[in-house]
Amino acid sequence: MTYPFGRGWQRVTPYLLLAPGLLLYFLIALGPSLATSLYSFTDASGVAGAPVNFIGLENYREFLFAGQAARDNIDALGRTIIFSVVVSSAQFGLGLLVAILLTQQLPGTRFFRTLFFMPVILGVVIQGLIWRLFLYPLGGPASKIVEMFGGYSEFLGSTDAFWWVIFVQIWANMGITMIIFIAGLQTISVDLYEAANIDGASAWQRFRFVTWPLLTPSVNTNLILNIIGSLQAWQLFLVLTGYRQGTQVLGYVIYAQGFGQTSGSVSNAFRQGYAAAASIVLFFLVLIIGMTAQYVLRRREERLLG
Amino acid sequence: MTATNLVKEGGLVKLDVNAPRRRFRLSPRVAISYVILLVLTAVYLGPLAMLVNTSFMTQRQFNRNATSIPETFQVENFVEAWEQANFARYLTNTAFYAAAATLIYVVTAMGLAFPIARGYIRGGKTVFLLFVIALFLPPALIPQFQLILNLGLYNTQIGYIMLLVTNPVGIIILVNYLKSLPRELDEAAAMDGCGYGRFLLSVVFPLARPVIATVVVLHAIGIWNELILATIYLSNQEFYPITRGMIVFQGVYGFNWPVLAAAVVLMAIPMVILFLFLQRYIISGMTQGAVKE
Repeated sequence: MTYPFGRGWQRVTPYLLLAPGLLLYFLIALGPSLATSLYSFTDASGVAGAPVNFIGLENYREFLFAGQAARDNIDALGRTIIFSVVVSSAQFGLGLLVAILLTQQLPGTRFFRTLFFMPVILGVVIQGLIWRLFLYPLGGPASKIVEMFGGYSEFLGSTDAFWWVIFVQIWANMGITMIIFIAGLQTISVDLYEAANIDGASAWQRFRFVTWPLLTPSVNTNLILNIIGSLQAWQLFLVLTGYRQGTQVLGYVIYAQGFGQTSGSVSNAFRQGYAAAASIVLFFLVLIIGMTAQYVLRRREERLLG
Repeated sequence: MTATNLVKEGGLVKLDVNAPRRRFRLSPRVAISYVILLVLTAVYLGPLAMLVNTSFMTQRQFNRNATSIPETFQVENFVEAWEQANFARYLTNTAFYAAAATLIYVVTAMGLAFPIARGYIRGGKTVFLLFVIALFLPPALIPQFQLILNLGLYNTQIGYIMLLVTNPVGIIILVNYLKSLPRELDEAAAMDGCGYGRFLLSVVFPLARPVIATVVVLHAIGIWNELILATIYLSNQEFYPITRGMIVFQGVYGFNWPVLAAAVVLMAIPMVILFLFLQRYIISGMTQGAVKE
């Protein structure tokens, strides 16, 4: 596009004003993100001034193949996938259902929408502490409910802790999926539904042949955001369970190894090269699953929209 | 075009208010809708109610029966939480980090977004793409730490703020919005002898106020809720933001749920109030950032 503000210095100003933002982005986000792959080939420790040596693929070998720790890592990888599949599908289904219910112009819609979205802005610390209280095993509400059925559970202290974190994750983020679907639903013209009604379409047919195809953009957005977001999510584990055998996902392994926050028994060293290798493993997981999802969704969109 | 525009015109909030309301009739479908919504309300409201309820109990009562109604309203819990949790300090820190980082972010982001939206720079499309792919990139944690460490900024407030001045989603929202401003403005201003810098400052900034508000709110909420970076980079308690302070407080007061609950309520109140007032900006930000292009 032609630049109307003149030549010489005036032509350079846009570049000058763009530079600080771009520089900061390179320095703090993009650069480090790309440099992760370089660090994954080193024994970087996270101690200032300590020498950093190139050790080739050693970190990857250790991460994937060396004994019990590697088996734990593979478990964490599998758990990451399970976490992502369950969280994204539940969040998707629930978000869509609630969005449909909340676009029928029922009284109270605004209250429900506000309430379901609330956890999103409260952040992981509050989300986590709220549920730790609710799941308090010695007479908290959840334990009372379980007791009524004659059961007992330690909840976040039990072997099922992983599933409780999944539950809280869905609770916390369903609101985002919901509002994106609501925005999508509100773009669908009422006329189409009226036309469908005149043709004698049932509620299911209206959904199947009007809502679902026309909702494609928000369906795609939500699926991609949910899948990638849940593959990378781990902060709730930090607040709800801490680093514990049998619950951690890949994101938490990276953090724990890189910053020595593994639980008591494990060493306190900052194994940053190793953590960088784990980051790259997670990156490939995100890339493969994310790209596959993108590809499938795009194919579907082309089929639907000609 | 995109859903984005329609949302802005029809408006999430607007549609609710202005759309002709059908007369309310209790059909089976409406009944089922309400049953589902009320079950969900219980799941969403229950934990919040439990939190508030607990915050008014004595510890003795909580240990005896955690789900009972408070016998005496222990306002002292809030006083104790406020004093013991060093709340004033942590809140001031969080407010400072949020204000400083958001200001730097928004100013630099506008400098970035406007020429990209207008095509005034070479390679603008490529630059934009660098922000779009951010979602897919590997976690930057490790090299970021090495960088801050080697710059000597570990455990400093400047270092912490520096980590909070980027946000690719905000750039995408800004670029998409700025594209919709009429180009004739630029030409008219240039004709009147207005330079690029002044145009950006005195014309584009005011015109983009709604979208700037959205981006500011989103970014500030992110900083308010940031826990991981605070855990990694700040070791001095005096520098802790509220999130980190809360985790420490929970470590010390974990046995005393009433006071801990009071602290959580204190921490949540500003966000809840903010949300109720700025809901429009927050929701439009989240949907715009998501439904791009």
